[in-house]
Amino acid sequence: MEPPENSQQYLTAAEAGLVGCRACGTVAPRGTRVCPCCQSRLEFSETASLQRVWAWLIAGLIAYIPANIYPMLRTVTFGRASENTLMGGILELLHHGSYGVAFIVFFASIVIPIAKFLAIAFLALSVRKPPTLDTHGRLLLYEVVEFIGRWSMIDVFVVAILTALVQLDFAAAISPGIAAVSFALSVAFTMLAAQSFDPRLMWLAEKRDES
Amino acid sequence: MSTPEPARLKVSDHRPSMWRNLSLVWLVPLLALVVSLGIAWKSYSDRGELVYITFENASGIVANETTLRYRDVVIGRVEEVGFAPDLSKVSVAVRVDKDIAPFLDEDAAFWVVRPEVSAQGISGLSTVLSGVYIAGAWDQTPGVAQTLFVGTDRPPLVQPGRDGRRITLRTEDGRMITEGAPVLFRGIEVGRLEHPRLTVSGNSIVVDAFIDAPHDRRITSATRFWDSSGFTVSFGAEGLSLDVESLASLVSGGIQFDSVFEGGRPVNSSAVFDIYPDESTARRTAFSRSLAGGVAVSVAFGESVAGLSSGAAVKLGGIKVGEVDSLTASIQSDTADADVRLVAKLLLQPSLLGLPRGAGEEDVLNFLEQAVDGGLRARLASAGLLSPELMVELVRLDNPEAAQFDRTAEPYPELPSTASDLPDFTATAEGAMERISQLPVEELMAQAISTLSSIEALASADSTRQVPAAAVALLEDTRALVSDPGTRALPGELHATVVDLRAILTELQQGRAVANLTTALEQGSAAATDFATASNELPALVDDLRTLAAKANSLEAEELIRSVSQLMDSADAVIGTQEARTLPAALSDALGEMRRTLAELREGGLVENANATMASARDAADAVASATEGLPQLASRLERLVAQSEDLIASYGGRSTFNSETLDALREVKSAARAVSQLARKIERDPNSLVFGR
Repeated sequence: MEPPENSQQYLTAAEAGLVGCRACGTVAPRGTRVCPCCQSRLEFSETASLQRVWAWLIAGLIAYIPANIYPMLRTVTFGRASENTLMGGILELLHHGSYGVAFIVFFASIVIPIAKFLAIAFLALSVRKPPTLDTHGRLLLYEVVEFIGRWSMIDVFVVAILTALVQLDFAAAISPGIAAVSFALSVAFTMLAAQSFDPRLMWLAEKRDES
Repeated sequence: MSTPEPARLKVSDHRPSMWRNLSLVWLVPLLALVVSLGIAWKSYSDRGELVYITFENASGIVANETTLRYRDVVIGRVEEVGFAPDLSKVSVAVRVDKDIAPFLDEDAAFWVVRPEVSAQGISGLSTVLSGVYIAGAWDQTPGVAQTLFVGTDRPPLVQPGRDGRRITLRTEDGRMITEGAPVLFRGIEVGRLEHPRLTVSGNSIVVDAFIDAPHDRRITSATRFWDSSGFTVSFGAEGLSLDVESLASLVSGGIQFDSVFEGGRPVNSSAVFDIYPDESTARRTAFSRSLAGGVAVSVAFGESVAGLSSGAAVKLGGIKVGEVDSLTASIQSDTADADVRLVAKLLLQPSLLGLPRGAGEEDVLNFLEQAVDGGLRARLASAGLLSPELMVELVRLDNPEAAQFDRTAEPYPELPSTASDLPDFTATAEGAMERISQLPVEELMAQAISTLSSIEALASADSTRQVPAAAVALLEDTRALVSDPGTRALPGELHATVVDLRAILTELQQGRAVANLTTALEQGSAAATDFATASNELPALVDDLRTLAAKANSLEAEELIRSVSQLMDSADAVIGTQEARTLPAALSDALGEMRRTLAELREGGLVENANATMASARDAADAVASATEGLPQLASRLERLVAQSEDLIASYGGRSTFNSETLDALREVKSAARAVSQLARKIERDPNSLVFGR
């Protein structure tokens, strides 16, 4: 494989008049609608891709707002109900001295989603604007975002498991709040946004910059 | 051959318009936005009104947790717990549901529901674990909504919108009046007392009471309230009876009411009623009002009316027919010697006298006139066994002194009175004590002492000692006289006389004049008569001797006894002789003298009198002694009786030990309740401690 310094010499599929399949990697002549190998759609539209990214990203952001405002968990202990928002729960954990758990929750439900929003937005913007990070760095960022996206669901899993387990009638009961749904939606939307992003656009942009 | 080269395709640089290639995926964020905004708008518009309720303290109130409930339905939630600007109160901000907020007008009441153990029971138990909540009550009509309210720590006794009537009760003793105490009607709770408070002057206590509908209709001018706290002890002819009220009223007091006569008028809402100490007092007051139309008559009593007071009962055959209205003294100036009469004005109730309903004054007076002719009299009577109070009793006497019902008397028709026969224990005992104390014991003793000393002086006097000697001398003289030869010669002289007579008779027989004979016969007859007279005096002599012997015996003079027996012997001897029948007058004279002497002795009556005096003195002393012996007993019994009655009477009163013990018990109950409520509060503040044992 050629090192990135010699990138000037590589030929992209588009330059070769071909279109690659994102699912199986087969190249087909430009204009082919369906991949001759895996039957997936061969579509390559820069605009449509970016539009999807932005749409999902905005949807995820919108969903992230109620996820933070509304209560995540509704805990009823001995008839006394208490509701915790995401941040409230973290603060309560800190208050109780569970710094590790508080950090994990904080990382999974605050840091990662926000970082993802920023990363996806950066990637989407970098397709059009001159990149401050080289293409390989952006590819790495993209892969990290793709990989880490599912871990944001850890909060939702916790809520789901707690809700399922802690149903002790009067003594204690936990039910999910609106924020749990919102948060799950937000994570799903950002994952979709990440997936909608076509990394080939980065290379295209690089080529364009060169020419 | 050239290397196959991919054809250089012209890649169009054309960028289609963004709007033309608009992806459908944009609908997703749009939808999310719409939904989010929708939720936001809904939650904002449903947010409800924020009201502020001030409390003394915020015990148990937690922001975002404590709920506001109306009829146990959650209608709001505490958002913030803060302070009033001057830190004098706690201000609780509560978000109230929109549709409820308009009802929160000025009559809305808020209080904190906590677990509470009181005499009325246990309440708020559910809050032990779930925490306190704020409860509210208001009426069912929306008014001018407010946002500032003053909350209380306890539920209002009367929740807004409840039907009923609020009245004011007045009492002088607030010890058994507590807030929340029940108001009972025939034992059924129909209302509650509110907070008791002192009047401005401080000499009485007023407390509002709320009587629930429909029982509030029973409150009329005929209604009397009395204290039914706890129990009543009554002691009467039926024995001792103990009435215990409900536990709640035992612990926290209670007020009972009833209509004490028929036909009370409805009262307005600002009516003030007195609380009487007990039912009988309350019922008695009915007369003073209901007798407004009673018939007034007066009775003049000739004795002390101490103990008779205004309001005392007037009874006819044991049934109350009226009461004493007033007591006055009036001076009867029409008689020569002005006399103060004690006049009682009685008010008699026609219906209670058994007269038909609607009977007027005239009917009553007619009835009384008739009854007085039939022997009806008024007299004082004791109101009770131990009571010093008196009442007026109308009795029908069998043979009363003649009296008339004076209808024309001023100012009221006068009913004749008769002397009372107070079967009054106290009076009797008092009288006995008075008599005993009035006995002239000291004078009697002084007299007895002086009498005894006189007797002693008399007995020790020489002249008295000489009396036996003189008597002996007298007897000696008598014996000497009897044994005198001259005396003994008397029969002989008599015999000679008879012989002379016989000679004379013989002469007469020998032919003397009849006249001589007649004379002689007459002389003989006279002599016989004389003798008979002398003989007649013998029994008297014997009697005298006996008397003398009796007296002499009591003198304890042995010599005298002996002499007397000798005298008796001698006298017997004298009487036994034939000559005694011819005792001369000289003997008679001597005996007469002796009898005089004895009579003098008797007249002196010294011994007898002394004896009698001694005996009387001793009797008197004995009587005094026994009376004196009985005194301590009587006194102690009286003391005991008084002590017992005092105890009994005291146990009626509120300030008795019993009551204080009850109060102590109550305090203990209260402290126990406090402990329970502390525990409950602790659990309520930290329910985890219950679960985790911490």
